[in-house]
Amino acid sequence: MTAAVDTLSAATRERRTARRENWHLLRRRPSFIIGSLMSLFWIVCAVLGDRITPYNPISYTTKPKLSPRSGHWFGTDKIGRDVFSRVIAGARDVLLVAPAAAVLGVVFGTVLGMIMGYRRGWIDLLLSRVVEALLALPVILIGLLILTLADSSPFLGAITFHSRKVLVIYVVALLFTPIVARTVRSAVIGERELDYVTSAKLRGESGAFIMTREILPNIMGPIVVELTVRIGYAIFTVSTLSFLGVGIQRPSPDWGLAISEGRDLLRAGFWWPTTFPALAIATLVIGVNLMADAIQSVYDR
Amino acid sequence: MLRYIAKRLLLSLVTLWLLTTIVFLMVKLLPGDPARSLSGNTAPESAVEALRIKLGLKDSFFAQYWRVLKGLVTLNFGHSWKNQRTEVWSGLVAPALFRSSKLAGLAMFITAPLAIMAGVIAARKRDTLIDRGIVMVGLATSSIPEFVTGALLAVAFGLNLHWLKPIATIPRGASVITQLHYLLLPALAMAIVYFGYIARMMRSGAAKALESDYVRTATMKGLTDGQVMRKHVLRNALAPTITVMSVQIGYLFGGIIGVEAVTNYQGLSTVILNAATNKDLPVLQYAVIVIATIYMAATLLADVSIAWLNPRARLDLDSA
Repeated sequence: MTAAVDTLSAATRERRTARRENWHLLRRRPSFIIGSLMSLFWIVCAVLGDRITPYNPISYTTKPKLSPRSGHWFGTDKIGRDVFSRVIAGARDVLLVAPAAAVLGVVFGTVLGMIMGYRRGWIDLLLSRVVEALLALPVILIGLLILTLADSSPFLGAITFHSRKVLVIYVVALLFTPIVARTVRSAVIGERELDYVTSAKLRGESGAFIMTREILPNIMGPIVVELTVRIGYAIFTVSTLSFLGVGIQRPSPDWGLAISEGRDLLRAGFWWPTTFPALAIATLVIGVNLMADAIQSVYDR
Repeated sequence: MLRYIAKRLLLSLVTLWLLTTIVFLMVKLLPGDPARSLSGNTAPESAVEALRIKLGLKDSFFAQYWRVLKGLVTLNFGHSWKNQRTEVWSGLVAPALFRSSKLAGLAMFITAPLAIMAGVIAARKRDTLIDRGIVMVGLATSSIPEFVTGALLAVAFGLNLHWLKPIATIPRGASVITQLHYLLLPALAMAIVYFGYIARMMRSGAAKALESDYVRTATMKGLTDGQVMRKHVLRNALAPTITVMSVQIGYLFGGIIGVEAVTNYQGLSTVILNAATNKDLPVLQYAVIVIATIYMAATLLADVSIAWLNPRARLDLDSA
C-alpha cells in the first residue's frame, strides 16, 4: 500500500515538473505573450464594463448616427448610443458565455469520451454513430436549429434575458460535446492497454476509479489543448449566433448583436456602428487563438 | 477498395437515418405548435385545427415518423408546410443548393491555389520572417468569424472603394459577369476564412516532405528544384491538404450562414434558417440531409483520392 502511494506521489511530482516546464516554454513565446495581452485587454473591459465607459452603453445619450468625433470617438449608433462605450461594455456577455460554454462542453465531452473509450462495446458503437452524424452538420447550423426551434415554443421562448444566456451556454456546450468526446475517446483508447491500467485492474480497482484517477491525469494534455482551442471556437460560435439573432439578446451591447443592428445602417453609408464591434471580435479571437496555438505547440512538442 | 467504398456508403446511410431522426425528434419534442406558428398568432383556432389535420399533425407519433422515413427512402418530402404549393426539392432546396454551390465553388477557386502556394512557400522558407508572416496571417484569417470578415470587407470594398456590391441579391437574369460582381464579396469573405486552414495543412505537409529521405535522394540525383517540388513535395503534401479542403467543402455549403446573412444571399443555410423559424419540417429535413450528404460525399471523395495519390494509404483502406 505504501509503495502504491509512493508511486502515485512520484507520478504527481513528475506531472508537476512537466507543467512547470511547459509554463517556462510558454512564457518565452512571443505569440503567447501578444495573445495574452490582447485577451487580457478585453477581459479587463468585460470585468469593468459600464463602470469605465464614458456613456451608458445601453441607453441613448445623444443624437443618432453621429460620425466619429471628439467626445464620441467611435460615433453613435442608429438610436444615439455611444459606440465606444458599447464596444467596451460589449466584451462582457461574450466573455461570460463563451468560456463557460467551452468548459462545460469539454467536461461533457470528457465524460462521454472516457466512457466510450474505456467501456467500448455497444455503447461506444452507438454513441460513435451519433457523434459522426452530428459532426456531418456545421456546428453553427445545429445551434441555430435548436435555438430557433426553442424560440418558437411558448415555454422556452418566454424565458428572460439572463436565462437566455444560460440557454446559449448549454446549447454551445452541447455542440462541442461530440468533437471533444471524439478526441478524448481516442486518447483513452491509446491509454487503456498500457501496463498501469492493467495493474490497476488486477488490484481490483473499479472502472470509475481507473477512469478518473489513473487515465484522466495522463490525458490532461490533450484535454487542456482542447479546452483552449474550444474557447476560441466558442467566441466564434456565440458571436455568430448572436449576430443571427438567436444568441445573446437585446439590449446587450454584444458585438455580434451590434453588427447585425448596424447592418442596415451600413448600406446607407454609416460604417462606424459595424466596423468597431467587428474589429473588437477580430482582436479578441485572434488573441485567444494565438494563446491556444502556443499552448498546443508546447504540449505537442 | 470497392469493399471499403461500399462500407462507407452503408455507414453514410446510417448517418442520414440518424440525422433525420434527430431533426424529427427536435421538432417534435421541443415544445411548440407548427400549425400555430405557420398560421400566425391571430388566426382562428378552427383554421389552425384544419391545418393540423391537413399536415397530419394529429396522427400518432409513429405514423408521423414513418412518413418522414418514407420521405427519406423515396427522397420525396412532398410540399413545404409554409407555402403548400411549393415542392420542397424543386421549389426550394434545389435552387438554394445551386446558389450555394456557385458561392462555394467561387470561394474555393479563389482560395485553394493561393493557400497551397502560401503553404509551400512557408515550408520552403521555414522559420524565416516570411514563414512566420504566412502562419500568423493564416491563424488570424481562419479564427475571425465569417460574418465579421464579410462586414469588414463590405465596409472597405463596398462602401469606401465601391469595387464590390455589399449586398449579394443578384437581379433576375443577370449575366455571368454581373453575377460574379455580386458574388465576389461573399466569396472573398469565405475564401479569407478558409485560406488559413488550407495554408496551414499545406505548410506542415510540405515541411514534412521536404525533410524526408526521398526528397534528399531526389535532390542528390540531380533533379531541379522545380522537379523535386512537382514530383515529390507537392504530391505528398497534397494528401492531408485535400482532406482538410474536402471537409471544408461540406462546411462551405452549410457553414457559411454568417456570410449569407451579412450579404443577404439566399443560399442553403438561409433556407434552413427560415424553415426552422417556421417549423417547416419537410424543408428542414430535406435541407439538412442535403448538407450532410455533401459533407459525407466530400470526405469519402477525399479518402479515395488520397488512396489514389498515396499507394500506402491504399493498403489501409483494403484492410479497413
